[in-house]
Amino acid sequence: MEILFAVLRILFFPGLLFVAVGGLLLSGIDRKVLARMQRRVGPPIVQPFYDFFKLMGKETIIPHHANRTVYMWAPIVGMVSLAVTMLFIPICGFSAFSGTADLLVVLYLLTIPAVCLIVGGSASGSPFAGVGISREMVAMMSYELPLVLVLLSVAKQVGSLSLQDIAAYQAANGCILFHWSMIPAAIAMLLVIPAEAGCHPFDVAEAETEICEGPLVEYSGAPLGVFKLNHAMKLFVLTALFCALFLGGITSGIAPVDVLIIFALCAVVMIVCVTLLHGICARLRVEQVFKFYWTVVTGLALVSLILVWFGL
Amino acid sequence: MFKNLIADSAAKSPWVYHINTGSCNGCDIELVAAITPRFDAERFGVKLAGTPRHADIVVVTGPVTAQSKERLIRTLEQVPEPRVIVAMGTCPNSCNVFKNSYSVCGPLENFCHVDVSIAGCSPKPEAVLAGIVQATEILKQKRKEMAK
Amino acid sequence: MSFSFPYLKYAVGNLFKKSSCDMYPFVESTAADKYRGRIAYDPTKCINCGLCMKVCSPSAITRTEKEVEGGKEITFHFDLTSCTFCGMCQDFCPQKAIELTADYGMVGKREELFTEGSYVKEAPAGKLGIGDDCVFCGLCAKMCPQGAITVDRANKSWTVDEDKCVKCGVCVGKCPKKTLDFQKPQVQCGEDCVYCGLCAKMCPQGAITVDRPNKSWTVDEDKCVKCGVCVGKCPKKTLDFQKPQVQCGEDCVYCGLCAKMCPQGAITVDRPNKSWTVDKEKCVLCGMCVSKCPKKALKI
Repeated sequence: MEILFAVLRILFFPGLLFVAVGGLLLSGIDRKVLARMQRRVGPPIVQPFYDFFKLMGKETIIPHHANRTVYMWAPIVGMVSLAVTMLFIPICGFSAFSGTADLLVVLYLLTIPAVCLIVGGSASGSPFAGVGISREMVAMMSYELPLVLVLLSVAKQVGSLSLQDIAAYQAANGCILFHWSMIPAAIAMLLVIPAEAGCHPFDVAEAETEICEGPLVEYSGAPLGVFKLNHAMKLFVLTALFCALFLGGITSGIAPVDVLIIFALCAVVMIVCVTLLHGICARLRVEQVFKFYWTVVTGLALVSLILVWFGL
Repeated sequence: MFKNLIADSAAKSPWVYHINTGSCNGCDIELVAAITPRFDAERFGVKLAGTPRHADIVVVTGPVTAQSKERLIRTLEQVPEPRVIVAMGTCPNSCNVFKNSYSVCGPLENFCHVDVSIAGCSPKPEAVLAGIVQATEILKQKRKEMAK
Repeated sequence: MSFSFPYLKYAVGNLFKKSSCDMYPFVESTAADKYRGRIAYDPTKCINCGLCMKVCSPSAITRTEKEVEGGKEITFHFDLTSCTFCGMCQDFCPQKAIELTADYGMVGKREELFTEGSYVKEAPAGKLGIGDDCVFCGLCAKMCPQGAITVDRANKSWTVDEDKCVKCGVCVGKCPKKTLDFQKPQVQCGEDCVYCGLCAKMCPQGAITVDRPNKSWTVDEDKCVKCGVCVGKCPKKTLDFQKPQVQCGEDCVYCGLCAKMCPQGAITVDRPNKSWTVDKEKCVLCGMCVSKCPKKALKI
């Protein structure tokens, strides 16, 4: 019985299906709002679903020099790791799995999709993918440091590395976001989300106009669809993580309403940090991304960490 | 039911890949104009794909010069099925004023089946949109035939 | 590292504005003024001169001729996927039978994208003629789109194949001596002339010669470029370009049919006195009288 519940959780709520549907909806909202920012009508909100199902029905081409197994499995491993990440993130104060230091687990799980992108790209054997991989690695290096610092400062504030404890702390003391010393960390986290999800001003790895979507250049059909799904799921997982870290404790007590509230919060966070930046910025170069994250964003996160360390 | 869903989705999410085979750049500009806010091809789900592997609709401009012939064939081979090839402007349809030139191997019909032709030199963005809408219908048909 | 976001206010402001989208397939949109789109061809105006085919650079225009009862059926086929929409055919068509419309929606299978029109052409009537000034240069023969004119310079003979001639008028326009039919305007001096010589002085080409003692005024047609400077300068307003006019030949039997048919009432025929006059002011050179004359004595 217990195993059945665990399977249900992994497959449906808050696992794979929930993240997939939520993520695709979020990226649909992203495209719609972006279109509105440019005074366009834009695609329907369910457009990412159309894209996903269309890619499922396309022919899959595997290049000659590709490593077939790795090429096909990379997107699936990424998708599973994202679904598992969601199990650790508390939604309305409840998470499917919990442990004493699940913040660290989340940190590691979050890097797996990026690693999958790198592995899949290198398995495809295209020079464009090679360039994309090297860029993805630089991007990973740039955003991991501030992300760790942000998580550390939140953990220091709460005094625990468990997301369950963070949720409980916020339920008791109000949102961490409204604690003034945590505001720099929240801004740093907002800036980490677009880079982690590979969204516009920081999408150096998938530069469509420049290196033909980098690691995805040889992918087609279903694996490409799964990669696109990964991208959408990542968006949802990261915004949900932000809500859990900084906006926890906003609950109504009724479970379905809480899910809707969380989703709305995720959408707002995403519009602020992903869509708005996409609408007003041009893409940065690789070294600009690196410099930006290791100076400005790391600086912001450090300020919070120091403030929290001195108990302010 | 699932097959129908995929066929419908195929019609609603056409990703466009653009090949220039020696075009004068007039058609290229008009194709880009079709995705500007005034015409907004994204209403139909159109996205400019960066690589032929992601494409559903291949828009070819230019009269297919001797230099670009090999590359055109190689690019078209990389587009996964179902795919629709749109010949945009007069050049790929008939070579326009470059007919019988020593450096032109066109028209495009010599190398592949052309599904939709858009006439005009160059076509207005509205005509490009009309062409893409017509191409999505063909895309749906092809997906249905593929699923059989 | 400096940060500035000049588009921030537009991005946020646009969220609350109406979209600037044309919504094309759902809302019809018209092309700009003078847009050159789908070709419209009026076969009733066409005289089959073939000039459009000659000037078409991508050879998008093809013609098929078929013998039918009472003449030839002529079909013009405009391949829109071959057309470069330069508008040369429209410009050159002497009859304005071709028009490039504002219709831009030319989308579909290649075989479906064309404009076609056909008409039955009756055997041509009337004849082209040369004047005394002809130097047999052969330019008319060269320019004739139908190859209907033969010029033999050695024997000073000029012939026109009436079966081929479609009376398009191209040769008339090209004749360097202006001696073919359908006369071009010519500067003429009226009766009020006082031989002041101002016109000769002002002529940029030196084409006019005035001999005051002998009261003679001549214009060198080869030099005259029809600029009209002399006309503007004449103090007596007696210089003007001669307009083509309807002329009655010797075959006239004074039947009066031309006067009856003239839409402007410009012709007066006095049968008893055997006089035929045309009011130049009223005449619009429509050619109705020419076509109605039972003796074919009239010409323009």
